[in-house]
Amino acid sequence: MASKTSITRAITQNRVWQSVFRQGYPNTEENRAKVIMNTLFFHIHPVKVKTHSLKISYTWGMGVISAFLFAVLVATGAWLMFFYAPSVERAYNDIQALETAVTFGMLLRNMHRWAAHLMVLTVFLHMCRVFFTGGHKHPREFNWVIGVVLWVLTILLSYTGYLLPWDQLAYWAITVGTNIVGVTPLIGEQLRLLFLGAKEVGPEALVRFYALHIWIFPGLMIILIGVHFWRIRKDGGLSSPIESAEVQQGETK
Amino acid sequence: MSEQTQRVFPKGPEKTYGLMELVKGTSPMVDKGPEDTVDSWPHLLTMEVLAILGTTVLLLFWSLLNAPLREFANPDVTENPAKAAWYFMNLQEMLLHMDPALAGIIIPGLMIIVLMVIPYFDISKEDVGIWFASKKGRAIAIWSAIYTSIWLIGLILFDEYIRVRSLVSEPAVLPGWIIPIAVMAGLSALLYVLIRRWRPTRREVLIGFFTAFVVTYFLLIISGLFFRGLGMHLTLPWDLPPGALSF
Repeated sequence: MASKTSITRAITQNRVWQSVFRQGYPNTEENRAKVIMNTLFFHIHPVKVKTHSLKISYTWGMGVISAFLFAVLVATGAWLMFFYAPSVERAYNDIQALETAVTFGMLLRNMHRWAAHLMVLTVFLHMCRVFFTGGHKHPREFNWVIGVVLWVLTILLSYTGYLLPWDQLAYWAITVGTNIVGVTPLIGEQLRLLFLGAKEVGPEALVRFYALHIWIFPGLMIILIGVHFWRIRKDGGLSSPIESAEVQQGETK
Repeated sequence: MSEQTQRVFPKGPEKTYGLMELVKGTSPMVDKGPEDTVDSWPHLLTMEVLAILGTTVLLLFWSLLNAPLREFANPDVTENPAKAAWYFMNLQEMLLHMDPALAGIIIPGLMIIVLMVIPYFDISKEDVGIWFASKKGRAIAIWSAIYTSIWLIGLILFDEYIRVRSLVSEPAVLPGWIIPIAVMAGLSALLYVLIRRWRPTRREVLIGFFTAFVVTYFLLIISGLFFRGLGMHLTLPWDLPPGALSF
């Protein structure tokens, strides 16, 4: 054990290590607080959390899983962009090449596709969880509104990605979808034109859906996820029965 | 400082500081000692890592299944059935039963707005943090789910085999708008009347309606995705034509 300790010490007791990790290993109260507060990737968490919010049966981890799936989608999506060009001439062949000629191409495409579907599901289940446990109530009203927007954005992201392989499934799904947009009262045709950039689904639509899919919707998503997380902290963490107990106490006073 | 407070929080002679005053008020932690909280490191972070690892494992195994890629897009060859992505199949299912503008734009648009304004009407804080608010809320949710399922399945079968449009086709506004809206409004009103039997709080009424929304959302997806074959007619899942599942 002595040698292990000295190896640990050799690694951690020097100025380089300590310039990166400003506190010691988080096995004391003080260091556990510091590691959360001082680390960019941890600081979105509070130093302490309610035991109630850690119960799996309370949240089912749906929020964390949705956020993680979004991260997976950004990573695999960025990688897929190396091998894909959004033109009618190239798109379909690029996907075929991705599946047959690119190392791990099939795996990464599969992961991107299934993670997207899974995220559509987990975000909706997250919304159900929040409603059924009363997590949308004061002071969290507006965070719920942002959550609804995030749900719609998730669907739009998944949908714009659907066209990109430019196969029959994509083409007809987008045709059906944009035909629905086209029947919007008063502004239907203009809206449809805005999405498609032409009268029919074609090269213009592919470029527009690509831009929306890889940059505009993810950008909006990242900003809104940031606000969503920020407000969880500002509203006192996850909802819990402590709050309802407090209300009842307030009434008896 | 009162006698009792002195007893509970005695001033230590070796301390240069002491408890000055106790304040009554509400904050998330008032009257709750630190025993109700734990350090995020390691408790929360461990749970997060487990969730992430679990999701990764699931996703990797799932990815053994290949993502679909059909023939090159061809505007001249219509897919039959031509389906949208699975999460839009609830809208596409509704398209079969009413005017496209109502099914595809107005109802989903209204639903999003209604969802957004829920917290501004659901204002009681008495049951925060409790699944379905109460035993009564749970009963209402289960009951609303059964009620919604029976009606939805009944209506889908009715419109497939008897067809509203074959009973009333003129004027088009009747099967397209008036009948669907009347059915939806009527069934919602009936749901409200039936939930009232429990003498529910406003929260519990909303639970009943939200449950109806969730059940409708999923049942219409299931119906549109797994039970719609050639020409979007009802088919059993194992009789679906190739390519009818849009994942």
